[in-house]
Amino acid sequence: MTGGRQTGRHERLLAFALPVATAIVVALVWQATVTLADIREILLPTPGAIAENLARTLPSLLNQALVTGREALAGFALAVVAGFIGAAAISSSKLLREIFYPAIVAMQLIPKVALAPLFLVFLGIGAEARITFAALLSFFPVLISTAVGLHNTDLTAVRLCRSLGASGWQIFWSVRVPFALPAFFSGARISSTMAVTGVVIAEFISSTDGLGFVIVDQGAHARTAAVFAAITVLCALGLALYGVVAGIEKLSVRWYRG
Amino acid sequence: MTVLPFAAQQAADTEETPAARRLPLSWARLRPIVLPLGLFLLWLGGWEWVVDRFPASRSVLAAPSEIAAILVRSFPLLVPHLLSTARDTVMGFALAVVVGVVLGSALAQFRRLNQALFPHLVLFQIVPKIALAPLFIIWLGVGSESRLVFALFLSFFPIAAATATGLAATRPEALRLCAALTAPPWRTFFAVRVPFAIPALFAGLKMGMTMALIGTIVGEFVTGQEGLGYVVMFAAAGADNALTFAALTLLCAVGLVVYGAVVLAEIFAQRWYGAPFVTEGFN
Repeated sequence: MTGGRQTGRHERLLAFALPVATAIVVALVWQATVTLADIREILLPTPGAIAENLARTLPSLLNQALVTGREALAGFALAVVAGFIGAAAISSSKLLREIFYPAIVAMQLIPKVALAPLFLVFLGIGAEARITFAALLSFFPVLISTAVGLHNTDLTAVRLCRSLGASGWQIFWSVRVPFALPAFFSGARISSTMAVTGVVIAEFISSTDGLGFVIVDQGAHARTAAVFAAITVLCALGLALYGVVAGIEKLSVRWYRG
Repeated sequence: MTVLPFAAQQAADTEETPAARRLPLSWARLRPIVLPLGLFLLWLGGWEWVVDRFPASRSVLAAPSEIAAILVRSFPLLVPHLLSTARDTVMGFALAVVVGVVLGSALAQFRRLNQALFPHLVLFQIVPKIALAPLFIIWLGVGSESRLVFALFLSFFPIAAATATGLAATRPEALRLCAALTAPPWRTFFAVRVPFAIPALFAGLKMGMTMALIGTIVGEFVTGQEGLGYVVMFAAAGADNALTFAALTLLCAVGLVVYGAVVLAEIFAQRWYGAPFVTEGFN
């Protein structure tokens, strides 16, 4: 018995230690290779140099992260609201579903990223263009996941509520939405990553601030360590947004379970 | 497919009435085709009308008829860019399939390796990898190689993760049966694990193809040498809206063709293994 528990703990420890050890080994090998093979810092800076650059420029990078993060959050919020409303509409009307289904599938397949320059033409090079583009990219995962979730509601529960005299509105909010929550959040999690990606792509093309601009700008000046430092902050930003969405998911699932 | 539940629903909708079964061209059968087509034509017509009615919109739009005209006229100019984009995307995807499937299989076979690497795969799925595009220019220059390798880099992660997850999803009973029949590991792998992994694998491949095209386009944005993404950016910056939309149309065609190829491959794989697998979408 104790042996079994000990192997269980051993396994959990390994599941945590192995990935961390891998990361450390990769960093050490990276540092050693660059130092020993004398690779120029322009091509590949050492992890030490990146950390040093990150520590030095952290305040300004955080300011840029604020710009990127604000825009990504705005785009993401727009996408979630629009995606939820759209999903509610197409899952409750057969006509709308038939009209829009092929368009949604087609939009899913075509490379929306290529539309970025158009948004800058339409909306100028300000924040609006970047927010709208991020919203467009992150709209479809929410729309499709939520629609599938709303569609897969347990029909027995819907019939029970209808026979108890619940209105369509009540059924939607207290039966369909709770059933669709896991699907909605799996879409929202993907959307949160797409929103950051969308803002960064728009910043690549035309911007004067934000982390995407820093990355392109420093890259063009071959300051590779600064590029890596900005990427590190950007990754942290992406993970933070994803983590927030995952956290809200946990809370809301618990809330609906009562 | 991603939105399959609706497809099933529509099939059920159309077969409801007995009248629909008797008449091959009844309204109930036609509406899933006619309605979207109507939306498309209405949208095109409205677009044409707006551009025609409000000349001021020409600064940001071009009429569909102009786009079609410039598409025909500039086609010889656009073909090299089309080929460049298609080549980078397909080659990047193909290499990502090789690397991703090999790594995914290794992760499914060796548990310790899986524990060490799988969390990193998941982490890389979440972070905005697109931000690494300028680094590939520093490493590989502004030529086709950097776009191809960037496409490979982006499309590798979903493929590797999906392969590992799919191969791990084999039913334990089937594996135990194979062990009891003393099947060699490689036969168990190809005859049992691979068929069970097909739905997840193809979900990963579709995601991978999408990412390969995104990688190529973003690569073309930042390298600014050739490819349809470059044409889109170049024409948009010069306010040549008809050309922008023409290049976008071609890009959509490329996207549909490469994605369609993966879907076809999936259908063949399912036929080959003789079972109608239900494929989960990637989101």
